[in-house]
Amino acid sequence: MDALLAIENLRTYFYSRAKRAFIRSVDGASLSVARGETLGIVGESGSGKTVTALSAAGLVTAAPGVIGGRIELRSNGIARNLLDGLERYVRVEEADGHVVSVEKNEPGWRRRVEALMAGVRGKEIAMIFQNPRAALNPYSTVGSQLVETIRLHTGAKGEREAKERAIHWLERVRIDSPRLRFDNFPFGMSGGMCQRAMIAMALSAEPSLLIADEPTTGLDATIQSRIVELLAELKAETRTATLLISHDISVIQRLSDRVAVMYGGTVVETGGTAEVLAREASERHPYTQALLASIPSAETIRRKSYLQAIEGEVLDTIEVPRGCRFYGRCNRVTEGVRERCAGAEPPLAEIAPGHKVRCWLYPARS
Amino acid sequence: MSKTILEVTDLRKHYRQGRGLASMLTGEARVIPAVDGVSFYLRENETVGLVGESGCGKTTIGRTVLRLTDPTGGSIVFDGRDITALSRAELRPLRREMQMIFQDLDAGLNPAMRVRAILREALTVYERPSDAEIASRIRELLEQVNLKESKLANFPAELSGGEKRRVGIARVLAVRPRLIVADEPTSALDISIQAQVVNLLRDLQKHLGLSYLFISHDLPVVELVSEKVAVMYLGRIVEMGLAEDIAHRPRHPYTQILWSSLADKQSTEVSRRTRQETVERERRAWGVFDFEHPAGGCRFAPRCPLYEQKGRPAVCTDPASEPRLRDVGRGHVVACHFA
Repeated sequence: MDALLAIENLRTYFYSRAKRAFIRSVDGASLSVARGETLGIVGESGSGKTVTALSAAGLVTAAPGVIGGRIELRSNGIARNLLDGLERYVRVEEADGHVVSVEKNEPGWRRRVEALMAGVRGKEIAMIFQNPRAALNPYSTVGSQLVETIRLHTGAKGEREAKERAIHWLERVRIDSPRLRFDNFPFGMSGGMCQRAMIAMALSAEPSLLIADEPTTGLDATIQSRIVELLAELKAETRTATLLISHDISVIQRLSDRVAVMYGGTVVETGGTAEVLAREASERHPYTQALLASIPSAETIRRKSYLQAIEGEVLDTIEVPRGCRFYGRCNRVTEGVRERCAGAEPPLAEIAPGHKVRCWLYPARS
Repeated sequence: MSKTILEVTDLRKHYRQGRGLASMLTGEARVIPAVDGVSFYLRENETVGLVGESGCGKTTIGRTVLRLTDPTGGSIVFDGRDITALSRAELRPLRREMQMIFQDLDAGLNPAMRVRAILREALTVYERPSDAEIASRIRELLEQVNLKESKLANFPAELSGGEKRRVGIARVLAVRPRLIVADEPTSALDISIQAQVVNLLRDLQKHLGLSYLFISHDLPVVELVSEKVAVMYLGRIVEMGLAEDIAHRPRHPYTQILWSSLADKQSTEVSRRTRQETVERERRAWGVFDFEHPAGGCRFAPRCPLYEQKGRPAVCTDPASEPRLRDVGRGHVVACHFA
């Protein structure tokens, strides 16, 4: 597969002062996005979705941050590892599933990150966030923010040309009267309108990869469906490769070609959207299955039956179990595999072409 | 048929917003009618769901019904007693019977108190139980909300989202309420935990005979837990009826848009709409709430596809004929001239 972005064994840790421990937000995650493809990342809060995306965009600033792995971006015929040489600045000490200490040369690491990300962040990788109003500059008009992006990242250097392009982009994200909206400040616009402006800004740099982090969360239901519709239309028009993060399975289902399910900082399942998220599919990770079952279906509602909840709580990634991360909440452990589930983390094994599952129930097919 | 526990008639809550120095001098202020003439009732052991976009007045209704804010007009009858104008002192004994679960998981959980102390405090607000009684009640509450005893020694900050929600519910149950206003009880939680909490709330209703006013924007969950659903738009109920009727046979164009937006999001087909159609659709979908100058006549007309379809009939924008809720059968009421 012609991967545009390939993340391998990414590890991003943080230190919690309140808990006096290291949190392994992303702990050995691997995934890839092909050209023109939308990869949806599903998972609960704390599963590492957003941190994975922030790591790829070089936006993790808290310590210790990204401490290992590879993030390879192949665009314009150049392949570069966005984490190249960063391991020289970090040393991690572990014992019994706990991270004991992390030594990091912060200034050196920072300099290296900035050198690696120059010309990548904003240009090659653009991002839209959950809260559009917070991501826009409140002191400057939407138009001037767009013009700034366009002049910085594209060939359009002249003021007038940039303005025309900006208006064109406002039109493309279906903002009506774009010429009038050009001079609006973010506070004069609704949440949905700000999200459109954010999308225009991200796409106006003509990035190779768009990261959309919960683009519909926090918007009203009617507005959400409009934004999803817009993203679907833009996807068909621009074919920009997209990393879409959402906990709303219906959004992922609608927009993604492939899906990665994250749990406890790692990817537990990846595959085509239809294979992974179809309710009736038989072979998939017990977590994915339980997650889908906990959403009220037409059938559940009609019968007014109970929802199938996943018992227990979302894994805190301070203490990572020796075996499978989902073992404690899994309802499909059989006597045949119990020992392995408790004892060793299963590999992300390919169970069908393009469909990988991290579970001892499914042996790899070669 | 079980008896009515809450009856709200023509409830109004108008907020006044000053306009700086000039309004201080002239006494002029803008009035925001957050709730503008809402009537409904709730039977014992029943759930009424309240849905609508943010800013439509859902939460204000919840707070006003419990007299957490004072209504501007209308009446609230709780268990046969008019509580609209009761004083604070008169309300106090009633407060224990009407409780609220807030959207914010941390609301009501004192960060400096351990779970045991939080529950103990809730148990001793209205009663003076002995230590032994407190201990047995705490055990009972833990069992009801399915929380481990080991959590009693934790501070709220040490709990996960789901556990905080359970403690919040236990705290509400401690005073043995009969009516609970649940304001977005699941929206701050993860999907897998949401299902646990929805199941828990339904279990508690079954075992304790609770009545819920369930405020949420999660339409499938509302449909699942509610017997009746009221749809609000700009401070008014535009449609109300049995949950299945509202979800599957909606009559009001706004209700139809609300439920179809759910289906839109799920459909996998990329739309082939022309740019012009999209812009047209957009303009309606974006309709900005303007409480100050609500359109004359039907409030929804500026966004209404039916209004366009019918060739903009004058009756929809006639200030003298705002549509009233009328019965279309099975207790299903709709406020639309054409539905």
